[in-house]
Amino acid sequence: MVKEKNIEFELDKTFDPVRCRHYLNGVCTVLHCHHYATLYTQLADDAVDFNGKELLKKAAEDSFYAVLNDYYSQNGIEAIEAKISIAQQYWQVVGMGMIKFTGVGQYTVTAEMDYSHLDEGWLKKWGSRTKPVNFISAGFVGAVAALTNNKPLGSYKVKETKGLVCGDDVSAFEAILS
Amino acid sequence: MAINRKKIIEEMSKVKVVGNDQGMIPAFGVYVQQLPGDFWNGFAQRMVNSVPADLIGVVENLLINAAHECGYHTGYGIITSDEFKTVVSPMIENEPEDVLHGAFAIFTAWGWAKSEIVELVPGEKMVVRAYDYYESDLMQYGMCLRPSAYMIRGICGAFMDLAYGGAYDPKGESGIYTFKCDQTKGIEVGNDYGEFVVTKA
Repeated sequence: MVKEKNIEFELDKTFDPVRCRHYLNGVCTVLHCHHYATLYTQLADDAVDFNGKELLKKAAEDSFYAVLNDYYSQNGIEAIEAKISIAQQYWQVVGMGMIKFTGVGQYTVTAEMDYSHLDEGWLKKWGSRTKPVNFISAGFVGAVAALTNNKPLGSYKVKETKGLVCGDDVSAFEAILS
Repeated sequence: MAINRKKIIEEMSKVKVVGNDQGMIPAFGVYVQQLPGDFWNGFAQRMVNSVPADLIGVVENLLINAAHECGYHTGYGIITSDEFKTVVSPMIENEPEDVLHGAFAIFTAWGWAKSEIVELVPGEKMVVRAYDYYESDLMQYGMCLRPSAYMIRGICGAFMDLAYGGAYDPKGESGIYTFKCDQTKGIEVGNDYGEFVVTKA
């Protein structure tokens, strides 16, 4: 279990009335629902010939690496425990669920989710399935694994080993240094 | 029309959402999340760019479809919400046209697109212009070869479904996809604004 540092994620939400855009800590964000997220996920899952799942993971990893890296830099956050705490709080704040990083090493990073927007949304929309669906959170775990180990983007390959959507008690992720 | 766009945008842009103790945002009958616009753009462009030319249209339609379903279900949740009843409903004189105008004011307030209806033929056609939208941010990587506002296309079609497609069907087996939307202009392809034409499917 990762020892967490008690540090609070500072949330700065603003609205630009000229462009009519919302920003979360300076990053343009948009509200979308589980229909949107699960249909994007289904598209990625179906696009087997074009590596759709990896494309969705990569899009997530790129985006959340930048978001967290900026936050860490702007707030002087360097300790692994603090980075993990901020990442967990960020995922909660944006509505993606409760993620807990259960192990953070140089070669392997593991995480679990008790609640998940993607899984709950998939279950609500289509019901259970045999394979995990949380490619977006897998990308997020890859980003956090790289940032906590001061590695470049894309350093870790992430596999979802359990899924709430499959009837497991948690969704579980394992990031391996590649 | 009694819809006061400015007031709706001012009021509805103040609505703040954050995850609860479970990291979930249940609202408007759906689960909501707030992710960076560049994440959604990033996946859409990767998908479109990864398939051969003859499959680009198929992928684009699936991206539009995701937004259409989102717009249908979330849109219904929005126009039946307490927030809508408090802010927009007192302004409504003509249904469903004023509801549609109000919905696009909310669409603007929540940061999806700074957009408004510029032409509405009840039950037949709607033209929407968007003067600023996150899907046009692809311009920062260079001008796009094709209009890429898949989300707005889907939402526009869905809002017309809700207005003129019959009773809302929570299962999405009827009432949805009675309208379709074409994008005729786009900031991402060099126009001053995006333009979206919705007609019967």
